[in-house]
Amino acid sequence: MKIARRQIVAAGGVAAFAAGFSQTLGRAVGNIADKVMGKPAPEKKLWGNAAAPEFTVDPATGKLQPNPAQQVSYTACLGCTTQCGVRVRVDKESGRVIRVAGNPYSPLSTEPHLPMKASVRDSLIAFSRFQEKGLAGRSTACGRGNAVLSQMSSPFRVLTPLKRVGPRNSGKWEPISFAQLVKEVTEGGDLFGEGPVAGFKALRDLATPIDPAQPELGPRVNQVALLSSVNDGREAFARRFWNKSYGTLNFVGHGSYCGGSYRSGSGALFGDMKKMPHAKPDLAHSEFVIFVGTAPGNAGNPFKRTGAMLAKGRSDGTLDYVVVDPVLTNADNRAAGDRGRWIPIRPGTDSALALGMMRWMLDNGRINTAYLANPNLAVAAQQGEPSFTSASWLVVSEAGHPRQGRFLRGSDIGLPVDEEERYKDADPYLILGADGKPVPAGKATAPAALDAETVLALNDKPLAVQTAWLLLKASIQRQSVEECADACGIPAATIAALAEKFTSHGRKAAVIAHGGMMSGAGFYNAFSLMTLNALIGNLNWKGGLVMNGGGFKDDGEGPRYNLDTFPGAVKPKGTPLGRNVPYEKSSEFARKKAEGKPYPAQSPWFPNAPGLATEWFTGALNGYPYTIKALILWSSNPLYGITGVRAQIEKDLADPKKIPLIVSVDPLINESNAYADYIVPDSLMYESWGWAAPWSGVPTKACTARWPVVEPQAAKTSDAPDGQAIGMETFFIALAKAMALPGFGPEALSDAEGNALPLERPEHWYLRGGANIAWLGKEPVPDATDDDLALSGVDRLRPLLEATLKPEEWRKVAFLYTRGGRYQPGKDAQDEANPEWQTNRFNKPLWLWSDAVGGSKNSVTGKRFSGCATLHEPAFIDGTPMRKVYPQAAWPLQVISFKSALQNSYSIAATRLTGIHPENPALVHPADAARAGLKSGDTATLSTPGGSVKTTVIVHEGVMQGVVAIEHGFGHRELGARAHRIGDERQPDKPALRAGINLNDLGLSDPTRTGKSVWVDAVSGAAVRNGLPARLVRA
Amino acid sequence: MKEMRNGSGEPPVAAPNPHACAESVSASRRAFLRGIPVLTVGAVAAPALAEAPGAQAGAHWGMLVDVRKCIGCQACTVACIHENAVPEGSFRTIVSTYSVKQADDAAQPAGTYVLPRLCNHCDNPPCIPVCPVGATFKRADGLVLVDGERCVGCAYCVQACPYDARFINHETGKADKCTFCGHRLDAGLLPACVETCVGGARIFGDLNDPEGELRRRMKAAGSELKVLKPEAGTKPRVFYIGLDERFQGKVEGQGALWKPESHGG
Amino acid sequence: MNPTIVETVNVAREVAWLPWAVQYFFLIGLSYGAFLISLPGIVGRRPGWTGISRLALLGALLCGLTAPVALLADLHQPGRFYHFYLYFTPSSWMSWGAFFIPVYLTGLILYAWLALRPLLAQQAADGNLSPRLAALCRTLAYGGHESRGALLAAAALAFVGAALVALYTGMEVMVVQARPLWDTPLLPVQFVVTALAGGIGLTLLLQRFAPAAAGAPETLRLARALAATQLLALLVGAVWLALGLSGLSPSHAQALAQVAPSASWKLTAAWAAGSAALTLWLALRHPGSGVLIGLLALHSAWMMRWTVFIGGQEVPKTGAGFYQYHLPLGHEGLLGIVGTFGLWIALFVALTALLPVARLGGENGRTNI
Ligand SMILES: Nc1nc2c(c(=O)[nH]1)N[C@H]1C(S)=C(S)[C@@H](COP(=O)(O)OP(=O)(O)OC[C@H]3O[C@@H](n4cnc5c(=O)[nH]c(N)nc54)[C@H](O)[C@@H]3O)O[C@H]1N2
Ligand SMILES: Nc1nc2c(c(=O)[nH]1)N[C@H]1C(S)=C(S)[C@@H](COP(=O)(O)OP(=O)(O)OC[C@H]3O[C@@H](n4cnc5c(=O)[nH]c(N)nc54)[C@H](O)[C@@H]3O)O[C@H]1N2
Ligand code: SF4
Ligand code: SF4
Ligand code: SF4
Ligand code: SF4
Ligand code: SF4
Ligand SMILES: [Mo]
Repeated sequence: MKIARRQIVAAGGVAAFAAGFSQTLGRAVGNIADKVMGKPAPEKKLWGNAAAPEFTVDPATGKLQPNPAQQVSYTACLGCTTQCGVRVRVDKESGRVIRVAGNPYSPLSTEPHLPMKASVRDSLIAFSRFQEKGLAGRSTACGRGNAVLSQMSSPFRVLTPLKRVGPRNSGKWEPISFAQLVKEVTEGGDLFGEGPVAGFKALRDLATPIDPAQPELGPRVNQVALLSSVNDGREAFARRFWNKSYGTLNFVGHGSYCGGSYRSGSGALFGDMKKMPHAKPDLAHSEFVIFVGTAPGNAGNPFKRTGAMLAKGRSDGTLDYVVVDPVLTNADNRAAGDRGRWIPIRPGTDSALALGMMRWMLDNGRINTAYLANPNLAVAAQQGEPSFTSASWLVVSEAGHPRQGRFLRGSDIGLPVDEEERYKDADPYLILGADGKPVPAGKATAPAALDAETVLALNDKPLAVQTAWLLLKASIQRQSVEECADACGIPAATIAALAEKFTSHGRKAAVIAHGGMMSGAGFYNAFSLMTLNALIGNLNWKGGLVMNGGGFKDDGEGPRYNLDTFPGAVKPKGTPLGRNVPYEKSSEFARKKAEGKPYPAQSPWFPNAPGLATEWFTGALNGYPYTIKALILWSSNPLYGITGVRAQIEKDLADPKKIPLIVSVDPLINESNAYADYIVPDSLMYESWGWAAPWSGVPTKACTARWPVVEPQAAKTSDAPDGQAIGMETFFIALAKAMALPGFGPEALSDAEGNALPLERPEHWYLRGGANIAWLGKEPVPDATDDDLALSGVDRLRPLLEATLKPEEWRKVAFLYTRGGRYQPGKDAQDEANPEWQTNRFNKPLWLWSDAVGGSKNSVTGKRFSGCATLHEPAFIDGTPMRKVYPQAAWPLQVISFKSALQNSYSIAATRLTGIHPENPALVHPADAARAGLKSGDTATLSTPGGSVKTTVIVHEGVMQGVVAIEHGFGHRELGARAHRIGDERQPDKPALRAGINLNDLGLSDPTRTGKSVWVDAVSGAAVRNGLPARLVRA
Repeated sequence: MKEMRNGSGEPPVAAPNPHACAESVSASRRAFLRGIPVLTVGAVAAPALAEAPGAQAGAHWGMLVDVRKCIGCQACTVACIHENAVPEGSFRTIVSTYSVKQADDAAQPAGTYVLPRLCNHCDNPPCIPVCPVGATFKRADGLVLVDGERCVGCAYCVQACPYDARFINHETGKADKCTFCGHRLDAGLLPACVETCVGGARIFGDLNDPEGELRRRMKAAGSELKVLKPEAGTKPRVFYIGLDERFQGKVEGQGALWKPESHGG
Repeated sequence: MNPTIVETVNVAREVAWLPWAVQYFFLIGLSYGAFLISLPGIVGRRPGWTGISRLALLGALLCGLTAPVALLADLHQPGRFYHFYLYFTPSSWMSWGAFFIPVYLTGLILYAWLALRPLLAQQAADGNLSPRLAALCRTLAYGGHESRGALLAAAALAFVGAALVALYTGMEVMVVQARPLWDTPLLPVQFVVTALAGGIGLTLLLQRFAPAAAGAPETLRLARALAATQLLALLVGAVWLALGLSGLSPSHAQALAQVAPSASWKLTAAWAAGSAALTLWLALRHPGSGVLIGLLALHSAWMMRWTVFIGGQEVPKTGAGFYQYHLPLGHEGLLGIVGTFGLWIALFVALTALLPVARLGGENGRTNI
């Protein structure tokens, strides 16, 4: 008995010991076994598990020796919308991407970038210690750009076509063959046992109107709608299919929930509300830049280039800058001292800052009126100015006149203009001549009168006109600097100091904005801020506000191939789903006008906006202007990205009766395509083709080549040996073939001689697009050498190049791939003849008064919009101030969004980033935290009228009092946050990917609208994600 | 060798003489070696170094971090991880980021402070003498390294490093830390973090080369040149410009809210 | 209060010396502490000490045999332990330790064997054991002779070894300047004092298994000794605190400044001091509460090491705030701790199968030393 007990105790002890020490034992045995078995001692005993370098460069001679086990190729990063040129280093045997760094030829990654004529060998040596080249020519990928390579091997990738099992958003999928996919989506049928679903073939009805009573809506094909994200160098291909070949009008990107308000505000100044040209400060030469609602070095586009130039400027002492933002970000750096400053501002009140500065400038004679007085480019040039404005042009200011708010045109005063051309380019704008009579601005040979106003007699009726400048001046004079200070929370003295400094650097100063404009006064905030630039005349000046150099066009009727037109191409027509056209041209308007009450429209219209994804979903589900029958989500994630949309539509999205067919083309399952009926795998990052261009901020021409530097992992389109990886291109080609649509197939393309050529494989398009690019400019690019091909991994493409292109072409296109794109030399940024001017200049006028905005009406109230910089408080669509509906007493705080310095909207599964920064606690000011009894690390409930979430808080002074700031990129429900079941397999469960919150789950609907809606800016139609009324309580 | 003041009245930091152009390379190298304490037996017992093609005789590697240029993008952090196959949850370098409340009269209420941290490749490294098997040593070119063939993984060096620069790599079972990417240096390349530093904050070079970028920048920085924990007497070979004294040692403030996940044994 | 500096991004270093290390330092401390308690009875032949000294010796042996295993487990390359002997590195206290441990253990085992040989012989002769065990006992007794000279020599060797072990364990930690909490000359003293207390505590506990011999006088003796160690421990602690608070010693001040803001550290420190005081009070007022104060002493010795090692590693060397350590359940945490105790218990069962505690602890079971 006693013995037995002892044995049990002893056995217990031994067992515990064995359990506790098993690992030690394992390790020890492992060590010894390695010794005994003579396992080769690892050569890298000093370097941990580091892979051998990709090449060696003799630091004395610069001789390069490649590592045959690795491939180094130049292509694009897709870690964010910047799409930098990067260098991808691949382990050849496993295909694993080891690391990513910058492409030295790319200005998005390198400053100054290497000239194209440098050989690939030289570009690699440029990384090395040889002559310390690697320091001077540093070419980078950012933290995210480095981390997202793990997406390539992510367990969450979609690699075969998927068809949903069970109801939408069930998280269950069945892998299907490509053939089945194509057949089902084109033919339709009872696909899910829920009743018949119309396929793409049936839905391509180019003849029947959606609504015979409203013919302007267009044919039924418009009820098929595609939402994409950003042009990643492949949009032209997709548009060729959906717009020109399939024929729908509805193909939009994410602009309206990216920085739409900024782009519209800038578009107003640049006089084009659809293409929205915009410029950026020339950070390389600026002396003073004010960043309002854009955080250089923290986010922004181009993220790295901006960050690098900011860092250089502030440490070299050549650049002072100010970041006006409700929240402190990495745009500030205390080590750089007061060269960079953070000025907190109340959300959505940026127009107050702009108008306050203008007021001070006006009162202190700091507005460059001499510049503003130049009525055309010729006079400007003669005055030494590289740009001009329409400040001196006359605007109709006669109250109640149908042309009120529009510029006075030649046809208005009886100058001979073809009726066709009325109010178009040939109809001249007018200035007030010396004799008090309007004269065409374009013909002026000297500066015009700025402070001109008069009352003309037209058809015996008086017509008051005044210059655009006077209209702006009145708007400026409407409030004092102090009133502006009260509105935005920036002290009047600071506003004055900003204005003084802004006007103390000649043309080497600029104001820029972006995401911070996504507030309830976004358009006017952006327009007002951007107008400041015009008031100092900095456009096109070196060091001022400069235009993007632009890209090289691959898809036009190019010098080698016609990738544009084809027989049978459709010209889509109708009313876009986002209603970004004048309400006054709709049948509804006509009907209501006939009934005597033209306003309000059922829902707002946005004549001054580009395509609006923000209005798409609520609109389609409201059936206004019409419903949709099929939705294609191509690499876009509106449910995660559009503020407030989830709560409005998630139930309807799950209901196949509302939108009968949802097909997604995407390499991942995100919050939106989780609702899809089918998911078609797309290529991921370094697997894709494409010709991408920087969206702005590069003053020289640039184009980044994307090509499959690693084999695409997706399943093949067929079992045939040459079956290609499934992706956007192969899918759309297959759809075209299945429906026998024009623009694709054996004779879809043509060369310069008019010979027909096939468009049946992705490379048919992209390689020929490359040939167009190679031949643009004064002379074609040189040939790639064998050494270039070998060192850049492009030799893998050689068979394709040779098979697809003409003998004289393939080495030139290869040249682009070996360099990762085509880039104009950096020295070309400034004009050769006039080195203080930029080469690529914006030659049209800047508009202090926007003809388009000032001449249009709010479709809900029927009231005219102001056409110039105006102090505007955040408001709903009918102009009701937000605070009137949601007063401060009930909602004491305002929530804003800021971009994560590390994450983007889809990088959450890149665990190397979450390892550094795993979640996004809401940032709260100490005073607000104290009121709520919160300290850092506490959990709180954050509520808005649109929703409520539980969040951790972090408390510090880096946020404006009264503001709760939320970093974007967390709070995911998908992209790995939920484990889907695909066939019999379940994805891994990674709770860490669900960390944090998404501000968009708190978004508001517009209380002044009926039906489903999200809060958007009244002019730009852009999502409002900044300045949501909120309260915060301890949870 | 000239002693350089670090500006905060702390003991001087030894730094190469910026005016030593006349000095022969080997002489200045000896000067460096003199800085290594007698106790660094490990260095003597170090394994013979295979002659790598790009290894540079007579060099003494160092880094300069110009904090003013850093944008806290963590490109360095992640590049280092991939280059060196650093396990999940471990870091050879990190850019600590802080929100700093400004004095009440300052023009702005708070500011951002970033601080790239890595092994300092100290010339008087406390991590070396403690190693019970001489596995960690200072290479002639200044790199403080761990011989993975010899290391027993006792983590004594991890304790001894005053900068939290070391950790146990659970995939190799050895002490791990920044190697200045010696494998790349030996290949004639630059460290991964330097290669990809977006702000251009990390400057790398030979402290013995007075003409080199590193020494030129160090010279230009003058009294702005500082090191972390100068009082520890470790003679770091990672120098900083823009190093605020509140961040020179252990930072007094509220710690980050999150901690690494356990590696799970 | 709202801090001036808020760290928004930083990483934490995980604890690199795991609970294994705590176990090692705890057990090796108990071992040499108990060894010291064995001296008065066995070497000094002090009246009334024989039983408790033999129990202490048993404790010293058990802990001494278990400790190196825990040490090995704290290495991430345990199979390379021989590197310690291939690459002696005089600058490293740990390297020296690798040589001191065998010295101590050789001395201890010899000493124990010489001291217990007669008892083994008696036990073999008693006939209580199964034939197999009796044979083993006889073999181990190897004649059962007493050899006083050899015993003294072995005790001297063990004593030197114990001193070296006490020295190296203290110095190894003390020299780590990077951790102000460790880098204090008082630390080795604190280790020794608590080790002694732990040794006494362990002896008191072992007495519980020798009810016949658990005579009050022995317990009282041990209790008095324990009280002395607790007083000393509190005194040293007070000096540490005073040095820190007064700022007389910068390293103490720094150590204090580093840990003072940590609530969990304060709690543990107060706990440690409180239990020392309680033990002291109990030892003086209720010296008969042998097992209780024994357990308390053991617990304080363990806590002290836990606080120093784990608590010390929770202080970032550069970053703000603290790293929080949560004891994992697996090998590197709880399971490891339990495993070491498991080994200890298994050894205890094995040894006492040969030499029951009752016999060891009996004052009457003379060894004829
Ligand atoms: N609260 C808040 N909301 C925001 C923002 C914010 O700052 N705060 N930012 C806004 C901005 S600026 C933008 S631009 C939008 C972005 O919103 P969207 O453009 O709608 O979508 P993204 O989330 O950028 O990602 C698109 C999808 O592309 C897929 N994808 C990822 N990598 C690849 C790839 O390599 N290849 C292919 N083919 N597909 C890939 C993924 O499924 C991903 O979800 O969100 C906006 N929403
Ligand atoms: N690191 C990183 N870089 C990125 C991206 C990313 O996700 N992460 N995404 C890319 C994309 S798609 C884009 S569009 C760009 C966007 O780049 P940014 O426009 O620079 O980024 P945002 O964070 O959207 O907005 C800028 C700032 O506006 C501030 N803000 C919010 N409300 C207000 C306000 O009412 N007034 C003012 N003045 N400021 C306000 C926010 O706090 C934020 O710091 O970045 C690109 N680069
Ligand atoms: S900024 Fe970074 S993530 Fe974005 S494209 Fe460039 S390297 Fe990639
Ligand atoms: S920083 Fe730490 S690990 Fe690096 S050399 Fe100095 S003491 Fe050693
Ligand atoms: S972990 Fe390795 S390198 Fe560090 S002290 Fe121990 S044996 Fe030496
Ligand atoms: S030098 Fe190499 S190892 Fe050191 S931090 Fe930089 S990348 Fe990492
Ligand atoms: S890569 Fe350079 S700029 Fe970016 S965080 Fe690291 S040191 Fe700073
Ligand atoms: Mo965006």
